[in-house]
Amino acid sequence: MAHAIWSGAINFGLVTIPVKLQTAIRTNDLRFNFLHKTDEGRINNVRRCSIDGEEISYDDIVRGYEYEKGRYVILSDEDFKRVNPEASQSVDIVQFVDLGEIDPMLFDKPYYLEPEKRGRHAYALLREALRDSGKVGIAKVVIRSREHLAALKPSGDALVLELMHFADEIVDAKSLDLPAQEKPLANEMKVAKLLIDTMTEAFDVTQFRDTYREEILAMIEARAAGKETPKADAPAPKASNVVNLMDVLQRSLDESKKSRVATSSAHKSAKKSAADDEEKPKKTARRKTSAA
Amino acid sequence: MASPAEKYTLEVDGRVLALTNRQKVLWPSDGITKGDLVDYYRRIAPYVLHHVARRPLTVERYPNGIDGPSFFEKNISKGAPSWVETVPVPSDSGRRDVIRFMLCNDEATLLYVANLAAIVLHVWTSQAGSLDVPDFVFFDLDPFDGCTLATLAKTALALRDLLDSVGLETLVKTSGGSGLHVVVPLEPAYGYDICKGFAEIVARTLHARLPATTTLERMQAKRPAGTVYLDYVQVGKGKTLVAPYSTRARALAPVSMPISWDEVEAMARKRAKETEPEFARFTLKNAPARLEKRGDLWGAEYWNEQRLEPALKRAREVWT
Repeated sequence: MAHAIWSGAINFGLVTIPVKLQTAIRTNDLRFNFLHKTDEGRINNVRRCSIDGEEISYDDIVRGYEYEKGRYVILSDEDFKRVNPEASQSVDIVQFVDLGEIDPMLFDKPYYLEPEKRGRHAYALLREALRDSGKVGIAKVVIRSREHLAALKPSGDALVLELMHFADEIVDAKSLDLPAQEKPLANEMKVAKLLIDTMTEAFDVTQFRDTYREEILAMIEARAAGKETPKADAPAPKASNVVNLMDVLQRSLDESKKSRVATSSAHKSAKKSAADDEEKPKKTARRKTSAA
Repeated sequence: MASPAEKYTLEVDGRVLALTNRQKVLWPSDGITKGDLVDYYRRIAPYVLHHVARRPLTVERYPNGIDGPSFFEKNISKGAPSWVETVPVPSDSGRRDVIRFMLCNDEATLLYVANLAAIVLHVWTSQAGSLDVPDFVFFDLDPFDGCTLATLAKTALALRDLLDSVGLETLVKTSGGSGLHVVVPLEPAYGYDICKGFAEIVARTLHARLPATTTLERMQAKRPAGTVYLDYVQVGKGKTLVAPYSTRARALAPVSMPISWDEVEAMARKRAKETEPEFARFTLKNAPARLEKRGDLWGAEYWNEQRLEPALKRAREVWT
């Protein structure tokens, strides 16, 4: 389900279009917990100081940048805020370019922009104008207090804001050992192109599924079913099923009554031995003691 | 994080509390600070304490606000004041043999806890001194993708009616997120096994009556869309419930709010697609005023400890 990250506006020239920024990507990752192999206890991460060995709370942690071996510059939250741009919650378009001019490698993560009521008309107009001209808007946008470079492009009925990498984030391919462009032999080229042609079809992303995820999930289900209480997997409860459970419960109730009687008489005979704290509930009155 | 901790003190019941960083923003989208959280719990302390006192407490801490990292803490923190009461519970997993749970028995402890940026308070369903016998059973009604407010509300009402048909009264609250919690107050006389067995019978019977809109499926991936997940697996020793009036780590700072069954009936008539906006009406900001006006809808006057034997006897007649 869509989740608004912020409400703000698209700005360009003198035009302002109120919009909400919405997530466009669902994370489908399976989440695993780290467990102790032998007893399945959950593993806690402990932040420990390397000097005094103490466990450190987040309140006592600061961010340091190691500018030379063993020497740090400490930056506070305030420092980060000072450098941060104003969290203006807007998409400020600084120029328009042809979509083809942008190397797809620069695209990072898409978000949807959803118009507020009074922005619907201008939103549709901008979308159609972009589509018609084949252009995209290049914008600056602040998300979670960090400024990003982004491209604004039409996609179906939506305007999509695609966050982009800055040029210096892209690793230069020159650092790899790659063959230079050379003229291939004509018949080799012909064969290669023929092969490409025969495998060419219309692109439909829905043909591709995350089979890794599905297989892991199937494995988890199978194991969970074989392991203790797979009760939820049982077919919809027939009356008989519930009757059996009721029989079991009735027996438990009868037994617990017997043992309660037994322990309470044992207590009496022992004349309140100490340390029976965990044994008998103090009844009703205790709830009322702290009543508002 | 790195600014020198802003410190202040507060005197509560003769104890001087050393608190920190009132200005620290915990809910960035709403500008709500740690000081606001402390003030909230201060204002409604008697109501919260009624539900958390003597129960082993697990806190969900967000030291840098709801968008930052969080962690669950069962063991009392190292730096806790010496007067904070605890109960030792043998650990059933991991290296530590004993977990020392905090018992939030008084206002000073509650405010100490709030100052830990403990946004969510989770409590046991049994109390220190009788940790093996819960004093209520609860059902977590969790709407799955596409489940509307009306479907969730109708499911809760069906659960109320089902339990009513065997003579058991129920109370209800919002989870503070997207679901509802329904409780059956009990005499603390039954072990967790019995409570769990009872909860399973109820859940299965309800599911048999509402097969299209409820599911007992624990695997999220296998739940049918638009259904309510009836979670009865949360009944057990060491399992916890989000305490009434606890805040949640979501935008608007919603709280888990006890509501009346009339309010649930009104929800059943609404057209809302999602449940969360409806429940996010109850927030840290407006909860105190509501409490002062309506009182504690889970308070002692509504909370009747009940016995299971007569209910089971009736259930054998009317549910089978």
